[in-house]
Amino acid sequence: MTSVTAELELSGARAGYGTIEVLHGIDLALPAGKVTALLGTNGAGKSTTLRVLAGLIPLRSGALTWRGEDITRMSTVDRARRGLMLVPDERAVFATLSVRDNLQIIAEASGHPDISPALESFPRLKERLSQRAGSMSGGERRMLALARALLARPSVLMVDELSLGLSPKIAADLFGWLATVAASGTTVLLADQYTEQALAMADLVYVLHRGERSFLGAPAEFATYTATATTASV
Amino acid sequence: MTSIDLGLAGISLGAIAALSGIGLLVTYRTNGVLNLAQGGIATLVAYVFREMVVEWGLPIWLAAVLALGVLSPGIGLLLERLVFRPLARRRASAAESLVASLGVLVLILGITAGLWGLGSRSDAPSIFPADSVRLFGQTRIGVDALAELAMVVVFAIVIGLISARTSFGRQIRAVVDDRQLAELSGVPADRVAAAGWAAGTTLAGLTGVLLAPRFQLNPYGLTLLVLETFAVVVAARLSSMPVAVLTALGISILQSELRQFTLDGDAGQILTVLQSNLFIVALLILLLAVPKLRELGGGDSGATSSFSSRGAPPSGRVGEARYRRDYLGKLGGFALLLAPLTFAPSDLRSAFQVPALALIFLSMVIVTGYSGQISLGVAGFAGLGALLSLKLANGELFGLPALPGIWAMLVGALLVAPVGLITGYPAIRRRGLTLALTTFAVGAVVSRFVFEQPTFASGLYIDPLTVFGHALSDKAFYILELLSLGLGLLVVRNLHHGRLGRALLAVRDHSSGAAAVGVDVRNLKLLAFTVSSVVAGLGGALLVHSSYSFAADDFAPLQSLLWFTAVVVFGADSAIGAIVAAAFIVTIDVLAPAGTSTLAIGILALALGWMPGGLASAVRGVLRLLAQYLADSFVDPNQRAPRPVPVRISAVGHLPATAGIVGNTGLPGIGATLGAARSGHVTRWPLSEGALGPLAGAPAPTPFGAALVAAVARYAAAQADQVTRVSGSTNGSGSDGALVGSAAATGSAPAAGTAARPSTASGTGMGAGSGAGTGVRR
Repeated sequence: MTSVTAELELSGARAGYGTIEVLHGIDLALPAGKVTALLGTNGAGKSTTLRVLAGLIPLRSGALTWRGEDITRMSTVDRARRGLMLVPDERAVFATLSVRDNLQIIAEASGHPDISPALESFPRLKERLSQRAGSMSGGERRMLALARALLARPSVLMVDELSLGLSPKIAADLFGWLATVAASGTTVLLADQYTEQALAMADLVYVLHRGERSFLGAPAEFATYTATATTASV
Repeated sequence: MTSIDLGLAGISLGAIAALSGIGLLVTYRTNGVLNLAQGGIATLVAYVFREMVVEWGLPIWLAAVLALGVLSPGIGLLLERLVFRPLARRRASAAESLVASLGVLVLILGITAGLWGLGSRSDAPSIFPADSVRLFGQTRIGVDALAELAMVVVFAIVIGLISARTSFGRQIRAVVDDRQLAELSGVPADRVAAAGWAAGTTLAGLTGVLLAPRFQLNPYGLTLLVLETFAVVVAARLSSMPVAVLTALGISILQSELRQFTLDGDAGQILTVLQSNLFIVALLILLLAVPKLRELGGGDSGATSSFSSRGAPPSGRVGEARYRRDYLGKLGGFALLLAPLTFAPSDLRSAFQVPALALIFLSMVIVTGYSGQISLGVAGFAGLGALLSLKLANGELFGLPALPGIWAMLVGALLVAPVGLITGYPAIRRRGLTLALTTFAVGAVVSRFVFEQPTFASGLYIDPLTVFGHALSDKAFYILELLSLGLGLLVVRNLHHGRLGRALLAVRDHSSGAAAVGVDVRNLKLLAFTVSSVVAGLGGALLVHSSYSFAADDFAPLQSLLWFTAVVVFGADSAIGAIVAAAFIVTIDVLAPAGTSTLAIGILALALGWMPGGLASAVRGVLRLLAQYLADSFVDPNQRAPRPVPVRISAVGHLPATAGIVGNTGLPGIGATLGAARSGHVTRWPLSEGALGPLAGAPAPTPFGAALVAAVARYAAAQADQVTRVSGSTNGSGSDGALVGSAAATGSAPAAGTAARPSTASGTGMGAGSGAGTGVRR
């Protein structure tokens, strides 16, 4: 087996909001070109971890490196421009802007002003180009959010709660699309509650619990872990 | 003058109003902040421009470049960086931004008044020559009007093109829609917002420099003039620039045309006032007529609960100790309020204003603090109360017989109630921005059409108050004021406690939610407005008696803004805060030069970002810490009662509270990376054997817990055995032993049923190189 390098590495990360610390020293490494699943219940710190990685929340201590370069202090905008893309779980599209503007903004900001790749991946958006993004259904908005991320040609794609509020069919479609993105060599981080699809895709699983890492391993091991855990809590 | 000449004369003012409107729209559409400080910025820039030209003798073009090219955008950049960027970062509500811009306004007014005084100057230079161009026949138009019109056209077209046609325009819309998402998309949101601010304040400065020579340069007057141009952006529903420009020109030309008419009697008088106040009337009418402003961000601008520090007081009986402490605090406050009775006569007279002002502030506590509505027209109510009570005392009101002074005051205050009720009606459906502007317009209209009119406000004489035929001494008057204040506090207390108080707070915090649980939102809002207007009226009546004269300036529309800011600063829902605020303002006004109290309130307002809930909650917080510290230092550490620890709710679901199981990653490289990271950061990541070992003070499991852990360990070992076989076959790399450790990894804490986090106890060493990273923590 060939050796895998870490694309993004978070070490000893402490972060939070106001007086409340949410992450109590998290270590995380995303293998380059692989899919990593970040699992945990509500309030475990998944979204906070993603926000830290995207630069929306400053680290109180710890460090973040990207391909060996320390980016702890890099701004959100610069991270996004250099290909570190977060698709947040809520408010992931500009609701008052048209679909076309939504796509164009990110395409221009990342320096590839052509929006046709997104429309090829998600043909449904082609019919809705001049519609306000906020007036679309939840699944379509999610689609648009992913299409936007695609246009940025990210080297790391982080998706928060992809399946949240979606019908199983649409969720399956989106996971399928994500699998093709991952197959093309993009490093993917999927934060989710425990969904089968995320586990099926992942090469590596992290579990967060109350702001600490409680598991790290291969998906197969995770099954055992949950089995153990279930027994323990009974 | 013919109609055409009058119309042309109106163009200049209309163009300036249009520029101001464009500036407001630019700031609003790029940042979502309706910049109430626009007037203040205009005034400050106009003053600096005049200073450079008149006092320093700079050439006009140089002064104009410095004022409009350097100072104005500089103010915008500074405001964005220091005040509004932090607010945007924490996604503050539009109401908070509104108050922040009020704070900026008050601060700038304070600076201007402090530097140049409150007097008027009529030597403001004009950037255009006082020349005119012949259009046709005898009709001429001023160069300034032409130039201003040209500027409006250029700005409107340029800004319109930028926003509609360029990618920068698209970025602006993205930033306004969701600043965080814009940053996540790689859009430099801070730069976009800063550009919006710089453009907005530059236009504000331009407005000031152009307006100053047409009117007298005076901190409050010029500011108010600019605030009147809000009519233009309301007509544009906060979005359409062409509508704003056309409205500005339309109102101004109409106002100018009105000059050719004269009417007799009362109608004539109204016409005279209209001839110079059409903008403010238009603002009120438009606010009542325009269906809905196109507010950004879903119009959540009503959320005023962020100014408030507390919820409703607990229902039922209060604890003995708490009761005693409250009682003591109130006695102490009362004693302080009595202190002026021992003052020298002149100081006592200065102190007269404190209870009067405190009553006015209390009225805002009712409306803003308790029922959550931004009301910027309180000076109108206070002035009406003052005026009505004087009229009653003089026997001039509707032929009513003259009432004795004290009764006149009470009745006069009660007569304000209908006005409050009428103002409250638009408030039923409006919140936030619209309501703030509506109440401001009501206050301004009342000020212009009543307080400043000789018919109503001149020839009033203030008789000394009498009780049973004896004139009140100064001390007796002060006591009367305190009694009135007590009455006001009683009203506030009744509004804040029990059912009514809870209902009001529910309306404040979530009015649709309140309606859903059966709270009568409509009538509660009306009640709050009505009661508040009466309290304000009583305060106004007392204020007039304490200063022995009725001055329209005391109840000018800008006073409302200043007072509102003061109330928010001192804690919008704190009755004590209202009294302290009054004492603070009066004391500073007596001791320091004019404008100092305004400056102080402005500075405090900008500090609100760091102390939500105002000074009242900051003080409460500090007192609590102090009490804690004192209690700790007097009590033996071992004897302390256990302090309540915030208990984290244990996870529901199939994950127990175990921490730190590390399995086989199946990715050799990652294992190596993590291994290296671990060996490098042992202290931060204590996973190696040496760094661990049982920690002192780790919770010992109960016998039951220990048994459970053992059972789990046996089970997990069996499971791990299976998986090792599975993963061994799929990965092809040895990971034996990796999971054996996890068998022992179950924390004792959850089993023992405590909320403590399990602490680290043991672990195996890390395999560097291509081996799988393994380790056990619990």
